[in-house]
Amino acid sequence: MDLKTLCEINAPSGNERELRRAILEEARGLCGAENVRIDRMGNVLAFRKGREVGRPHVCVSAHMDEVGFIVLGATEEGLLQFRPVGCIDPRVIVSKRVTLGDQKLPGVIGAMAIHLQTDKDMERVLGYKDLYIDIGAKDKDDALAHCPPGAYASFDTPYTPFGEGFVCAKALDDRVGCYNMLELMRERYPGDVTFAFLTREEVGLRGSIGAGYAVQPDISINLEGTAANDLGCTESRFDVCCPGRGVAVSFMDNSSVYQRRLYQKLNRLADKGGIAHQPKRGVTGNNDAANFQRAAGGALACTLSVPCRYIHSGASVCCLSDVEAQYALTRAFLMNA
Amino acid sequence: MRTEDFLRESAALPGLSGNEQAVARYIADAFRPLCDEVRIDPLNSVIARIQGRGPKVMLCAHLDEIGLMVSRIEEDGALRVGHVGGVDPRILPGMRVTVYGRETLLGVVGAKAPHLLTAEERKKNYKEEDLYIDLGMPAERVRQLVQIGDCVTLEGGFTKLLNGRYAMKTADDRSCVAILLRAAELLQRVDTAADLYFVASCQEEVGGYGAMTAGFGVDPDMGIVLDVTHAKTPGTPEYEAFSIESPTIARGPFLHPVLTARLEEIAKANNIQFQQEIVPRYTSTDADDLEAVRGGVPCMLLSLPVRYMHTSVETFDMRALEESARLLAACCAAIDDTWRDDLWI
Repeated sequence: MDLKTLCEINAPSGNERELRRAILEEARGLCGAENVRIDRMGNVLAFRKGREVGRPHVCVSAHMDEVGFIVLGATEEGLLQFRPVGCIDPRVIVSKRVTLGDQKLPGVIGAMAIHLQTDKDMERVLGYKDLYIDIGAKDKDDALAHCPPGAYASFDTPYTPFGEGFVCAKALDDRVGCYNMLELMRERYPGDVTFAFLTREEVGLRGSIGAGYAVQPDISINLEGTAANDLGCTESRFDVCCPGRGVAVSFMDNSSVYQRRLYQKLNRLADKGGIAHQPKRGVTGNNDAANFQRAAGGALACTLSVPCRYIHSGASVCCLSDVEAQYALTRAFLMNA
Repeated sequence: MRTEDFLRESAALPGLSGNEQAVARYIADAFRPLCDEVRIDPLNSVIARIQGRGPKVMLCAHLDEIGLMVSRIEEDGALRVGHVGGVDPRILPGMRVTVYGRETLLGVVGAKAPHLLTAEERKKNYKEEDLYIDLGMPAERVRQLVQIGDCVTLEGGFTKLLNGRYAMKTADDRSCVAILLRAAELLQRVDTAADLYFVASCQEEVGGYGAMTAGFGVDPDMGIVLDVTHAKTPGTPEYEAFSIESPTIARGPFLHPVLTARLEEIAKANNIQFQQEIVPRYTSTDADDLEAVRGGVPCMLLSLPVRYMHTSVETFDMRALEESARLLAACCAAIDDTWRDDLWI
């Protein structure tokens, strides 16, 4: 399945069904239906038997869900009140388009006209309590008939090739990981591999709690998209990672201290294989590797990330060569684990 | 031409104030089958005439749009921008824009990431100078393709919502140009006395200069200006925002009292719903400039309420647009030599 198809499916945390179905079908085709299951947290677990015995069991994981929105109710005039699902800075949602529910009903998030605002208003951040989704409803009943409380919304952004070798899309975090897992699944490896497509990462690493317990791997390689702040003359010490310079290998983030020997092995493999890579230079973010590292009796863990600019916005940007590098390094590891 | 198609297609064309060539050509082509003569004046206003022997009437809606202009290319290839017209910087972070360089380029507006801001900075909005445009290419390539002064338009997109409502960039004011076009269509089978000039004016967003110069060229006996006004949303001030469902007719010192009363009568006679808008001073539309052209041009002001003005999701009601066109056509049909009589007595 191509990255465009994956990005354009809506799967806000807790509402991953459409993407789960698509991934399930693809995974069954690649691994055999008997090797693919859905666990009790909605994760898709696909098992690839190794060619040899005595090798460690590796779990490669990526989360299916994306940041999005959920409807709380509606105003008398028919505007939907909502909150984010996952962390979205409200400053990036003003004057943007969304789609709601399974029927992908279009909506827009407006702001009161600049003409009607005081200078003081203009300084204040428009928060979720000040913003509404407009679907064109006549009144409250009309709005709630189309989008009842609990309806989910996603950014409405087409996947678009961008600049030179880049793409701009919603949900690159973490469809890049899902995409590479589906590609990696095409092969068999010396050891056993489980590919775990996870739910609800963006609301607190929830799906991986169940998957970690279900899989109990020896080694966890988590594939992610991570924030890059390299442009606009940001001081280089703040960049964390740079799109176009390869897959970012984490030594630590806010939820895990990765075992040094695994980090070093991944770096050695990348050097040896001529795979573009960079250390993730900064301790930022949380991800599912934490739950695999601590599942049952514990596992070795590391995270390999594609650098993404404007992550958690409707227009995230990444470099396709970094997506390839994430694939290449994960494959090299699976061949040598 | 279907109004929806006109709006979708014209919204996709760039027309920043002062650089309206592309959208002006498109609008001139749209008027051509409906009018006796069509021209584009030296500033980029489109002037389309349905000839008559009666009073000269200038119908005016602006074709230009707000946007950004490249002001600096940073060492890393990020573009800094200034604004053309009143762009609210709060709508920009995470927006996809189009940069009209040597090639037409997709850009994404970036800002310093939230976790790099101090707690104090996080409470404030980004200012224009905090933002940049990412083109996804190396700095040297950016310098080959982009120059200072290149135009940048906001996210396009044309979204059909429920109940005949639409969200688009440049509903301000191409929805009103659409009203002009629709009125011209409705007048095709009507024998009008008035000499009608449909003007899609340029440079409204920077000061009404298109209406001023086109008005000089046309030298009309009266003007009907069409622009957008604010539609109500939570928090909009009383008397400054209106129901999205019908047009407004404005009264105030910049507008002619007798003509305005006649326009209201025509609306009532044709069973067209309208709201009254009271504008105590400047109307902040082309009427302010047209009214003062040559020896003076008595003006009426008909407005279409839109939500979220000056964003890329300006939202309006198609029925209100249709009804505005019906009112405009009815008014044009009614204007005859009796409208030349002294309107001040």
